[in-house]
Amino acid sequence: MKSLRAALSEGLIAYAFLAPALLILVIGLVYPLFTTVQMSFLDYQMGTPWESREWVGIRWFEKLWSDPNVWKSFWVTLRYGFWVVLIEMIVGTGLALALERAIRGASFFRTALIMPLMVSPIVVGLIWRYLFDARTGMINHYLGAWFGIDPVPWLADPHIALTSLIITDVWQWTPFIFIIVLAGLQAIPKEVIEASTIDGANWWQMTFLVKLPMIKSVLIVALLMRIVDVYKVVEVVFILTEGGPGLETELLALHVYKTAFLSQNLGYASAISMLLLAIVTVLSLFVLSFSNPMKTKSDF
Amino acid sequence: MNHFTKSAGQAAAAALGALALLATSAVADPYQKYRGTEIVVSWPSLAHFQIAEELIPEFTAQTGIRVETDPLQYGKLRDKQLLEMGKPQGDYDVVAWVVFWKTEYVQKGLLTPLSEMFANPALVDPAYDIADITPAYLENGGKVGGPQGYLAGPSAGLYGIPFSAQTTMMAYRKDLLEKHDLAVPTTYEELLAASRLVHEKEGIGGLTGRAQSGHQANDFFLTHYGPTGGVILDDNYRPVLNNPDAVRTVEMLTEFVKVGPPGMTAYGYGDMVNSFVQGDAAFYLDASKIRKTVEDESKSRVAGMVGYALHPTINGNCGSGTGGFAMGIPGNSQNKEAAFLFIQWMTNKATDRKLAEMGGDPIRTSTMNDPELQATFEDYPVLVEQLKCARADWRPLIPEFPEIDAQIIGISVSEAITGQKSAQQALDEANAKIEALLTEKGYYAWQ
Amino acid sequence: MSQAPERTNLGHYALVVVLALLATGPVYIMLMTSFKNQVDMFSRVPLWIFAPTLDNYSVVLFDKKFDRYLFNSLFVAIISTLITLALAGSAAYAIARKDFWGRGLVSYGNLMIRMVPPAVIAVPVFALWSRWGFSGRFEELWGLTLFYTALNLPFAIWLLFSFVKQIPEDLEEAAIVDGATPFQVFRLVIFPLMKSGYAVAAIFTFRIAWNEFLLALFLTGRKARTLPVAIQGFLTDEGVEWGRIMAMGTLIVIPSLVITFFAARQIITGLTTGAVKG
Repeated sequence: MKSLRAALSEGLIAYAFLAPALLILVIGLVYPLFTTVQMSFLDYQMGTPWESREWVGIRWFEKLWSDPNVWKSFWVTLRYGFWVVLIEMIVGTGLALALERAIRGASFFRTALIMPLMVSPIVVGLIWRYLFDARTGMINHYLGAWFGIDPVPWLADPHIALTSLIITDVWQWTPFIFIIVLAGLQAIPKEVIEASTIDGANWWQMTFLVKLPMIKSVLIVALLMRIVDVYKVVEVVFILTEGGPGLETELLALHVYKTAFLSQNLGYASAISMLLLAIVTVLSLFVLSFSNPMKTKSDF
Repeated sequence: MNHFTKSAGQAAAAALGALALLATSAVADPYQKYRGTEIVVSWPSLAHFQIAEELIPEFTAQTGIRVETDPLQYGKLRDKQLLEMGKPQGDYDVVAWVVFWKTEYVQKGLLTPLSEMFANPALVDPAYDIADITPAYLENGGKVGGPQGYLAGPSAGLYGIPFSAQTTMMAYRKDLLEKHDLAVPTTYEELLAASRLVHEKEGIGGLTGRAQSGHQANDFFLTHYGPTGGVILDDNYRPVLNNPDAVRTVEMLTEFVKVGPPGMTAYGYGDMVNSFVQGDAAFYLDASKIRKTVEDESKSRVAGMVGYALHPTINGNCGSGTGGFAMGIPGNSQNKEAAFLFIQWMTNKATDRKLAEMGGDPIRTSTMNDPELQATFEDYPVLVEQLKCARADWRPLIPEFPEIDAQIIGISVSEAITGQKSAQQALDEANAKIEALLTEKGYYAWQ
Repeated sequence: MSQAPERTNLGHYALVVVLALLATGPVYIMLMTSFKNQVDMFSRVPLWIFAPTLDNYSVVLFDKKFDRYLFNSLFVAIISTLITLALAGSAAYAIARKDFWGRGLVSYGNLMIRMVPPAVIAVPVFALWSRWGFSGRFEELWGLTLFYTALNLPFAIWLLFSFVKQIPEDLEEAAIVDGATPFQVFRLVIFPLMKSGYAVAAIFTFRIAWNEFLLALFLTGRKARTLPVAIQGFLTDEGVEWGRIMAMGTLIVIPSLVITFFAARQIITGLTTGAVKG
């Protein structure tokens, strides 16, 4: 049991260690977030002095509530996030289970797999725009040459455009899930595997009753990180479709951008970004309720 | 209000100073005072501006004014200009705007009225013949504050000089029309029929277009809605977009998309140009500045195969619009006079002709009527003819236009031509949204 | 393990190869296209063998103020990485080891704040930018560095947190018994043992700051423009300049590729830390 004085001094030291980071976080993230909240109650336009702002109460939230474009964008965002995360989790985990043994030692393979993760999102968008091009893109060329399929308007057809975006994200981020899950699988103590082999477990039992439950916390963290990051996407859609056709690929982050810079309505854009923030917070809290990766034993 | 009295005072003071200067010394070199000044120009990365860039060394040699340009994709230009012009001291001395941004800039008090400069004899070149600039261009790009707010009139002021202004005209593949024994379409019915035929027989697109959701789709719509004589807002700023002509236009565009080059509903301007110059579409009907790209063999596979014709008509209405850019001076520029000298030099008769020779877009009547240029460039006779009926008022250049353009009509049109909504439904929705927006902005306060 | 009943067979290897091709293919196509001339690029049949040209690179490198953009990108990426590492290490140490009022709040808050999408802070930052009066090249670069640091800190703290937790507490206790002050403990005991953690955090911080697009697009003027913003300038209004886009894309990706080849192990550690060991 520490004395009060020792506890106090330990606390002060801790704050000294934390202070510089907290200062930057407060100036660079917390204060802007606070400004978002503040601005969502203001009428303020770009290119005008800050003094010209006007308090408008909850006008933007009322507008948001009855604005079909925002809700369309809201559902597009949820659909996009749902499919991206679902496909990446299933494919990434499946591949990790299938290839757990095959890639042992194949370090070149892991290097190849992490490449998409390192490519700048803006470049990812440009590469895929080139590949998806309906007229000259390679994908359509080979679909035509090998399978006789007519040119697919990947980015121009309202039923396909969102799928194209999902394909792009799946290309970039499935390796992430794969690598995490693989590391989790390799961390399972081999005694466990041996024991269940001796008990006569077949592949299905081994996978679903032994391996997956044992890496549950790994899966949750992977899921959490994808949910957090998937809603940050804006560059790729910015380059690929600018939200079209219609609003079929208008992710909320892009809608915020357009409202701020095309419509000049920074107040309304702030209100919409609070909606985006709400989605991310609710989903993350939901996943976090299963496990908090940063918990230390003495936290309250 | 304050702004105007203040700037008028400044102008007067500047004029007096210049007069004093004239009186004391014989000024042989009007640029003397500005040698060594550096100005920064914000303009788009379009062909015309790339050509103008080549003339800058000549300007610097003559005037001693150094110039740095900041070329950006035109869709991303406005944010940057607003950001810089909103600061107490901005980075730009000259800005080139798309015509529909001008009213917003003026309303926010971000531009210098050019009268301040034209009031100063020390700055104005006596040979600078402003009446020679195509009136529709000057009105469309530079005048703000007439009875309609965004056009000319007794109360209007001049804020910019058109630069890379355009109207619309048609370019077509001569070889394909000949092969299929088709006449050059003069009406939209003929254009649609020809597009269908080419699509069926050649397997390539008929008319190409830029129909990406947002600004591009709205431009696509307005280009083809113009000839009906239709408008978006009536004289009282009430939207009338869901009229039968507009609905028919959208339905017609849906037909064009069906026989257009693949993926057309995701094209921006660059994709549209690519599709035409790479031979994937037979017709181009958009800004009148395509010739330079068509004849550039490093980019084009159709050099020498393209002819130019007037914008087709609907019910006999000629109806090309006017658009493009104009250059003016931000209110927070520190080098307004040097900036004015740059604009004046870039738009004077000699430079305009030179730009035209190099493939740029002329703004002056004298350049367009130049017999030598008329003989060299296949599209000039068409351009002169086309400008006779070009409308300055084919879209309302109000400050809210960028939002109406990219966030309302551009999205509704995109939804309609990709089959998500009927034309009538899409335009009804757009109409209601425009009305709500303009109500919010106080447009109907006097009604 | 090797006596487990499953056998790796040829099918597995084939799958591995196909996946590797899928992952690297698009990047390879970019690289290839960047060496094509206009005519080859227009070719109806995609050309896999062609006479390479450096034209696209010479345009990008010499005509387009590339040196300025490169300097700006390096400036914000390197400086924000250095600051992030300096601040994150001590913060992670405090959260992992010290007992203080509000620790739970800080650790939880750190996770929550990591969720904030850049688009959400872009709008207010845009408004703050002119109020705070950032203008001119270096003021803007420092401003950008501030926001990149703030965006990167939560992840860096999280990552380093799991490295601190792996360090045996006895080492610190021994140092304290020897009379070391808390700062000496951190500098002389903890810091040297976290070097690999810093390396991993550096890679991820650099990657975000080097690649960031949205804030840089909104905030920087002509002089402070970074590479990712400059590249989209090639989607010009006069046709999309694919050759140049691919050349510049390749140049942007080079640092990341170099890191990928030489530090694959650290990257994998970074990706899995927190998930597997945390």
